[in-house]
Amino acid sequence: MIETTSTRGTPESILRNEESARPGQPPAGAAAPRLNIAVDDTRQTKAITSVKAQVDNVNFYYGQNRALKNLSIPIADKQVTALIGPSGCGKSTFLRCFNRMHDLQPDTRYEGSITLHPDNINLIGPGIDPIEVRMRIGMVFQKPNPFPKTIFENVAYGLRLRGVRNRATLAEEVEKALRGAALWDEVKDRLQDSALALSGGQMQRLCIARALATTPEILLFDEPTSALDPIATAKIEELISTLRDQVTVLIVTHNMQQAARVSDYTAFMYLGELIEFDEAAKIFTNPSKKATEDYITGRYG
Amino acid sequence: MNMGGSDPVEGHTAKAFDAALSDLRLQIVSMGGLVIDQVSSAVRALLDGDAGLAELVRSREARINEMERSVDREAFRLIALHQPVAGDLRMVKAASRIIVELERAGDEAKKIAKFAARVATGEPQGPVLAVARFLRHMAELTTSMLRDAVRSLDESNEEMARAVRARDSELDDEFAAALRQIMTLAMQDARFLGATIDTVFALKGLERIGDHAKNIAEQVLFVSSGEDVRHKKKTVEAGTPEK
Repeated sequence: MIETTSTRGTPESILRNEESARPGQPPAGAAAPRLNIAVDDTRQTKAITSVKAQVDNVNFYYGQNRALKNLSIPIADKQVTALIGPSGCGKSTFLRCFNRMHDLQPDTRYEGSITLHPDNINLIGPGIDPIEVRMRIGMVFQKPNPFPKTIFENVAYGLRLRGVRNRATLAEEVEKALRGAALWDEVKDRLQDSALALSGGQMQRLCIARALATTPEILLFDEPTSALDPIATAKIEELISTLRDQVTVLIVTHNMQQAARVSDYTAFMYLGELIEFDEAAKIFTNPSKKATEDYITGRYG
Repeated sequence: MNMGGSDPVEGHTAKAFDAALSDLRLQIVSMGGLVIDQVSSAVRALLDGDAGLAELVRSREARINEMERSVDREAFRLIALHQPVAGDLRMVKAASRIIVELERAGDEAKKIAKFAARVATGEPQGPVLAVARFLRHMAELTTSMLRDAVRSLDESNEEMARAVRARDSELDDEFAAALRQIMTLAMQDARFLGATIDTVFALKGLERIGDHAKNIAEQVLFVSSGEDVRHKKKTVEAGTPEK
């Protein structure tokens, strides 16, 4: 279903950076990462015009256990890509490769490449500093995990880590991140209160603000609403939709409707393998593979 | 992995959803059965000048309308409660559409029955008898198209649905031939102009019923392949995507 095509018309951002960052590569414009999803003539094609990260033949091992098998998908720039599949299919494992979370566990091994554009570094390559990767790729977890500090300090934390000392700059950036996470109006008068006094939904948005403060290029969400009520969930989903303008989003969710609502592209995984990847609208109306159809229509078990 | 069976409405972990989907399909099949009977009865009443049969057709129209409402309610409820996706969603959407086609086919039968009632009570039957052969043949064609369209839904039979589409042109040819015949008659003898016009409407009604059967078949193709073949020439139709 997916085919890589070389085109002359290349997204400017990629073009610019390829020139500066990849001296040994073919001239910019000759072969930019651009993917088309081929669909029949009656359907609207939403081609991926710009790829933020290209996953190529990624394998991942916990000791001898191969948890991911030859995964290859493009992650569209400033779009939402959802990973769905039954428990244990490897979607969280896959997500965690992007910010090298597995490095914290002994006896794990990556193979293949996740090429981050525009500078074309392999996120899981040897010699890439995981700390540096995590600076560029933020993560929001299933359960909100704010630091036991004030609301302000939670958001300022990443900035301080990066050496921002100027009080005015910090205040400005914290406000910007909190606004970006649709939390500012609710907490602007109590920035010095403990973050642990917030509601679950607010805590989760605080964690999103904390991740946004360091202006990540990709934001990873690992079942971000599974511990939240429907209203808080709706707020997070709405937030994810608006984040699309500034950051590339990759989300793991067990909630099929959520994937259908928030994602532009959806990948269905099973037993560590990618079964199908396509536009969300295609996956949820007319998937190509029977396994995908059976899963999303509730025919497993 | 425990996959669902070959039956497209079964195999859900939620058995209530299975039951609701198969009930939806069953309701459409029984509505289809009634509509088919309406069409053949209406034409028979017209040819035989049978007032009783004409009245029976007219009296059953309300039941068809109620069936349409019932399926529509059920489809609406399924969407709200089960949020169907993929093949299930296509099935529910198609169900909503198919019953509209059936109801309209039923309307055409009712109109023919009304004409039959008038013929039974004194309107000249000459023009009807002049194209009796066409009326009979077109009724056979339309009812068999409707039957196959509904069966193709029930059995998820793509081949059968495609065949229904193909037969629509045969019906159109019959209609054109019947028109020629009745026009010749009208030119020779202008006394029965009113009945002639009514007869043309009856022929046109049958031709429309064939269109409704074709539309149902197209919905069946949409359910099974996700392919929207409406308003497409049969010859340029794309192959079905791999499953």
